[in-house]
Amino acid sequence: MTSALQGFLDAREIWEIPLAASVVAGALLGALGVYVVLRRTVFVSAALTQLSTLGLVATLLVEERFHIETEHPSEQLAVAMACSVLGALVLGAFRPRRLPAEATVGASWVVASSLVVLGASRLVHAAHDLGGLVFGNAVAVPASDLAVIAVVAALATAVHLLFAKELAFVSFDPETAASLGMRVPLWDAVLFATLGLAIPPAARALGALPVFAFLTLPASGALLLKVGFRPAFNVAAGIGVVAAAGGYVLSWVWELPTGATMVALAAVLVVPGALYRLARG
Amino acid sequence: MTAPLVALEGAAIGFGRRPLLSGISMAVGPGEFLAVVGPNGGGKTTLLRTLLGALPLVAGRLVRPRPLRVGYVPQRDHVDAIWPFTVGEVTLMGCVPSLGPLRPPRAPQREAARHALARVGIEDLAGRWYGELSGGQRQRTLIARALAAEPELLAVDEPTNGMDPGAELSTMDLLRDLQRGGGPAIVMVSHRIEAVANYARTLAFVDKDAALFRVGPLDEMLRPEALAALYRRPVTVREEGGRRVIVPGNGETGEAAPSTGVAAPSTGVAAPSSDPLPSPPRSGGEGQGEGAGR
Repeated sequence: MTSALQGFLDAREIWEIPLAASVVAGALLGALGVYVVLRRTVFVSAALTQLSTLGLVATLLVEERFHIETEHPSEQLAVAMACSVLGALVLGAFRPRRLPAEATVGASWVVASSLVVLGASRLVHAAHDLGGLVFGNAVAVPASDLAVIAVVAALATAVHLLFAKELAFVSFDPETAASLGMRVPLWDAVLFATLGLAIPPAARALGALPVFAFLTLPASGALLLKVGFRPAFNVAAGIGVVAAAGGYVLSWVWELPTGATMVALAAVLVVPGALYRLARG
Repeated sequence: MTAPLVALEGAAIGFGRRPLLSGISMAVGPGEFLAVVGPNGGGKTTLLRTLLGALPLVAGRLVRPRPLRVGYVPQRDHVDAIWPFTVGEVTLMGCVPSLGPLRPPRAPQREAARHALARVGIEDLAGRWYGELSGGQRQRTLIARALAAEPELLAVDEPTNGMDPGAELSTMDLLRDLQRGGGPAIVMVSHRIEAVANYARTLAFVDKDAALFRVGPLDEMLRPEALAALYRRPVTVREEGGRRVIVPGNGETGEAAPSTGVAAPSTGVAAPSSDPLPSPPRSGGEGQGEGAGR
């Protein structure tokens, strides 16, 4: 154990950027997860991850078909983010009258998943890259991806600080907000755009499963602790950071899959909140 | 004559281009207490939200002679109690629309929220979680939130839904007290005519299935022939213990159901197919009803 930890510390050059990306993504997704959980839209994040992957696959297909060689995957990330934001605006901000929202989210997830499989089956050269792009590669996050995550995190934080009261009001009671003249679809769009922007770069760094987990578990843990609305963002971000950093280190030391270790640790961090609720009855 | 705060002229209300109900002309003046009554799904909330400008008109005109400060109280069940807000935080939200973006609530808004909580008698609950309150306390919180904006017009959607008789009377007494003495005009939606018959000054009957819209002073609207249009059956209005009791009859016979003054048969106000609004007639001294009659 000690030697494994020493080995980890000696390999700093390998893990410092991936670990930093994981920590920033963990904090960002943890905080955004408060809205995801309270608005009862946890499966929107799963659908957005699939839509983001669909964007990646579509870009790879186009590059192969038109023989466009790209040394840098920024174009793929840009298309993935565009798909994710568009999906977020449709799934999050659009409130269908004739179908339950779950039906739209479920349909989006399953259609996007099918198209990803179909698209991937047509890839010739890029197929081997797809696994890392979709499921994350925590030991090979380029500095550019860390920069994208950091910029998205800064932007999302600024939006959520500047418009905190509007986002909270329209999320908590959209009917009253609309009746008082607030532009609920606009504020919903702002909120879900931050989510749509955050998911693709986080998915590239952490993988699809951890993204879904980080949008759900840290916020659940924070909300179970009943700390209040605003503090819940800080607590959820903290849980996200601890789960991401702790999961990364433990996976290295114990030679476990990184994403799954992060998810498991995030789940463990929900336990204090659950125990607190049980104790309160 | 005082200028109305808001009025509809020859309006058709609905969603998109599909009218639910047409030929609506009405006005709400300062100090008014208007109750919009009709069956569930009859178009009451649509009318209310159209009056507030939250839904576009299908046809006709919405008239607002001047900018209007509005407070809105949604149906209690439409507000998700899972959100970890305190009563004070929920009340402060009433100031959000008037503040606009990039301006956080400051001392005047906090004071307005405190004052609003005091007006509805729950200032001691300011630090409690909204989700842990009783139905009546939640209703008072939502009313306080609407009052925090210091509205000239208070729009209230089904405030007594699902309440026990005591809480219902308490809520209605509160609304009446708020409206008296220069308080805001109130437009209240209810599917129970008995809930409003002892409080409102003006009644509007709305039922899209019967293409019914009728508005007038309370006494005029409580005449049997006016009520019969809403109930689609003969109706008797009785006075018991200083309160009006609405007693729908037994359909074709035209005979009013017997009123025991304690628990009347459940009958409806509304369309025969849905819902109706039976409200158990109460004896005058019941619960908090004392002094509640107009």
